[in-house]
Formats: sequence, C-alpha cells, structure tokens
Amino acid sequence: MSETISTEAFQVLLDRAGISVSPANMEEMRSAYMMLQAMRERVRQPRGYDAEPAHIFAPAGR
Amino acid sequence: MTALHNLTIAEAAPLLKAKKLSPVELTASYLSRIEAFDGQLNAYIRVLPEQAMAAARKAEGEIMKGAYKGPLHGVPIGLKDIYNTKGIPTTGHSALYKDHVPEADATTTRLLAEAGTILLGKLSTWEFAIGGTSFDLPWPPAKNPWNLAHDPAGSSSGSGAAIAAGLAMGSMGTDTGGSIRGPAAWCGISGLKPTYGLVSRRGILPLSFSLDHGGPMCWTSEDCALMMEVLAQHDPLDPGSADVAKPDFAGSVQKDVKGLRIGVVRHFFESDAEIDPEIKAGIEAALVTFRELGCEVMDVTLSPLSAYGDVAALISRSEAFAFHEETLKATPELYGELARQRIMMGAFIRACDYVNALRERGRLIAEIATVFESVDVLICPTMPGVAPKLGDLGNMMSRSRPSFTRVFNLTGSPALSVCSGFSAAGLPLNMQIVGRPFQDDLVLRVGSAFEKATAFRDLRPAQWAQQALAAE
Repeated sequence: MSETISTEAFQVLLDRAGISVSPANMEEMRSAYMMLQAMRERVRQPRGYDAEPAHIFAPAGR
Repeated sequence: MTALHNLTIAEAAPLLKAKKLSPVELTASYLSRIEAFDGQLNAYIRVLPEQAMAAARKAEGEIMKGAYKGPLHGVPIGLKDIYNTKGIPTTGHSALYKDHVPEADATTTRLLAEAGTILLGKLSTWEFAIGGTSFDLPWPPAKNPWNLAHDPAGSSSGSGAAIAAGLAMGSMGTDTGGSIRGPAAWCGISGLKPTYGLVSRRGILPLSFSLDHGGPMCWTSEDCALMMEVLAQHDPLDPGSADVAKPDFAGSVQKDVKGLRIGVVRHFFESDAEIDPEIKAGIEAALVTFRELGCEVMDVTLSPLSAYGDVAALISRSEAFAFHEETLKATPELYGELARQRIMMGAFIRACDYVNALRERGRLIAEIATVFESVDVLICPTMPGVAPKLGDLGNMMSRSRPSFTRVFNLTGSPALSVCSGFSAAGLPLNMQIVGRPFQDDLVLRVGSAFEKATAFRDLRPAQWAQQALAAE
C-alpha cells in the first residue's frame, strides 16, 4: 500500500464524494485518509464463509 | 446538613419522600447555582427556570398528597442537547440545528419526566456528539469543574461538568465511542454506558446507529442505578431495543462483591497502549481494594486494542456519514470544523470495508463472550490520562491514541467509568468496569462497592468557582 496519497489524487476522491475541503484543512484530511486506509487494510483478513456481519449485539436467549 | 447541591440522589430521595426536603427548594437551589456559576463552566446550552420551577411545584404537590413516584421524584436533572424535548430546542450544539424544535420527547426524556424528575435544562455537547472541543460553534465548549483551564472530555461534556460542579443531580449522556465514560472519567463522576438495547435510542439524534447508547451520569454508581430503574424499558419504537427482564438495579448496589471474579485486561494498558503512570497506579490500588473486598483478581487476554479501534472507526464513520451526508454537502458552513472533518472521513470508506468491519465485529463479540465464561467483570482504564488543557485535544490525527472505551461500544457490553483517585495536580483518575450483556446491575454493584470502600466520593471540586474568580 502506498504510504501517502498525492494532493491531486486526494482531490479526485473528494470530487467523486462531492465534498469540499478548504486548503487549510487539506493536509489534515489527507493524513487522516491515510490512517483510514491503514485501518481498512488491517481489517481485510482472510475469513471463512461463516464470518457473518454482526449487525447488532444479540443478547443471550433472544 | 450536607449542602443541597452535594446530596446524591440516594441521599435526597428519602428526604423528598418523607417531605423533609421540598422539590421546590431543591430546584431553586440548583437554578441559583447555575445562574451563579455556569457562566464560567458552560455546562448548559439552555436553562429552563420557569419550566423547572413549575415541574418542581407539581412534584411537591404530588408528594404532599402521598403520590410519591419513586427515588427520582423531585430530582433535578439535565439532558445532553441531543435528547429530543417536545417544544424545546434540541440543537446538537450545532448551528445546523439551532432552531430545531422537536414535536415529541425522546422515549428517555418521557420516562424521566414520568418518574417525576425536574428538567433544569439542556446540556452542552461536542457538536452532534462527534465534533470535539470546538470554539467555532454558536455556544462555547464546557469546562472541567476540577480546573476550569482543563477539558471535561466529550462528547457528553456538559453532562459530566454539570454533575461534578453540582449543577444537576443526574444527567443523561450518550456514548458511541466513549462519550459518557470519557467525561465521567475526566470530571471524576460515575457514568454508565448500558448494554446496547437496554436504554431506548428513540428520539436521540443519531451518530452511529449500531454503536450509539444513551445512559446516566451521576456522582455515584448508586445514583446511576436509581436512574437505570427508570431508563431500562423495552421500547418498540427503537428497533435495537431489547425486550428483556429489567434487573434489580437498586437492590444490586446494596450487595457486596465477595467472591466475584475480576479480569484485568492488562495488555490493553501495559503493551497495547501507553497510559499515564498515575492512571495505572490508581488501577493497581483499586485491584488491592477489590481483593480486600473478597474478589478474585486475574489477568485476561482479548484481541489487541488496535483491532477494536480499527473496526469501530470504520463502522462509526460510515454510519455518521450516512446520516449527515446530505446536510454536510448542502450546508457545510453550518458545521464546525472538527465535526465537518470527522464526519467527512466516512465518505472514503467503501461498502466492502464496512461489511468486513461488521464481520470482524462479530468475531470480537464472540471472543469477549468466551472470556466472560471465566470472569464476572473486566477492568481496564477509561482514559489513558487525566484531563488535558482545554483546546489541547486537537484535531483528528492527534486523537489517534488507542481508545479503551470504543472496545465496549463494539461488543455492546455494559461499561461503567468510576473515579479511582486523584492525580498530584488534583485531577480525577479513572477506571472502567465492564460486564456481560444485560448484567448492568452487576457492573453498577462493583462500581458502587468500590466507591463505598474508598473515600474518593467525599472530595468535591468545591473550590472551583472561587479559584476561577480569584484568577480573574
């Protein structure tokens, strides 16, 4: 995974999402985006078919 | 006699019931303190003096006629300003909702009113419960009563500050990643994030549907238990509400903790994340107390803290963006900078990442259930340090320190923050007590036993106002 994302590439993502960021906040958002990318990578693990989503906590006996 | 604003709910209730304390007198006392001190503290966004006094007179009339409703009858409380209140603005501390006047009460608002509580006002919050300590909103951020230069944490900032300062007897917060327990920790009070589904979310402004919890914040765990007696009700209007038998909260906090097995998630704070030495020392001392109370203490192992943080962030940002996308795009200028930035991050999470986070969440829930086969409660820190200076919390990146609280939003477990002492600088230390789902009563029992076995509930930030005035 790339360690960073260029300002131009990040601007493309912003445009595609339809949101705007002020120049003053661009660096902060870009850094946060990279943190998010790292989280996504860590959560992507091999899982079996039975690893289903936990939509809500299911109490015992429910 | 104890000053009225230093009475706990448990202390005031028998006096109110016996007609030795008037709800009118009690409410007037709180309103007077709010008027005198909240200008420095900013705990309240909106104070409701006329409505509160009318409710107090009504409560007094009912009690005088012998129609006493229970331990919350005549008790002055505050609501975080994301709890809908019929006919009263519910702003989310945001310019976007500045004029938002709900047509109906949140279920919890209604339950508390039916129990006879007196609503003093609406309490400040991080914007939409996510924005952080912000200075670009229509109302200023709340301050920490133990030291006005310090942060009370959030997002239930006013709810924590008001209790610690004696500006309400009980308050309601919400908790998506720690927003009840964080302010409880830094303000030195007790705050319970109940089991997911035990307290209705209906009529509370959502942040992250599957992680949001409403819950009580009080000076003691015993008071939280008294509030839970009223709050824990099945609500058919909340699709996440659980139809389960209500535990005996009030009875549970009167029992001892002898024989309980306490699991310490030591790797959370010894290898997964760094914490301040004073917080660690507070926890070690608490474990000694629990052993003296007859508990068995052992270390347990869960997944690394970061595993929970990743999953929680992906889910919470996705769900928050889903709720805010339309208004964020249409009127971004009506959001404060921190809320805008934090919510926007959800735009970059793909559907497959959200689903994989939910799958991992399932694994983490199963894992903690296995650990709870060998212990009754878990203990770990609530916050890694004491309250920093107001404004020092910073932006998104500087908040990347692992969170001890988000873990239990993911698992839905009941989690309580209690005060575990004080730092050398006089700021509250903290500890988190976590239980099996729907054993909130046991969690409160453990918290209450600790509070009764230690002297930390005897120390109030009594001098805060005088110190602040002297500094001016």
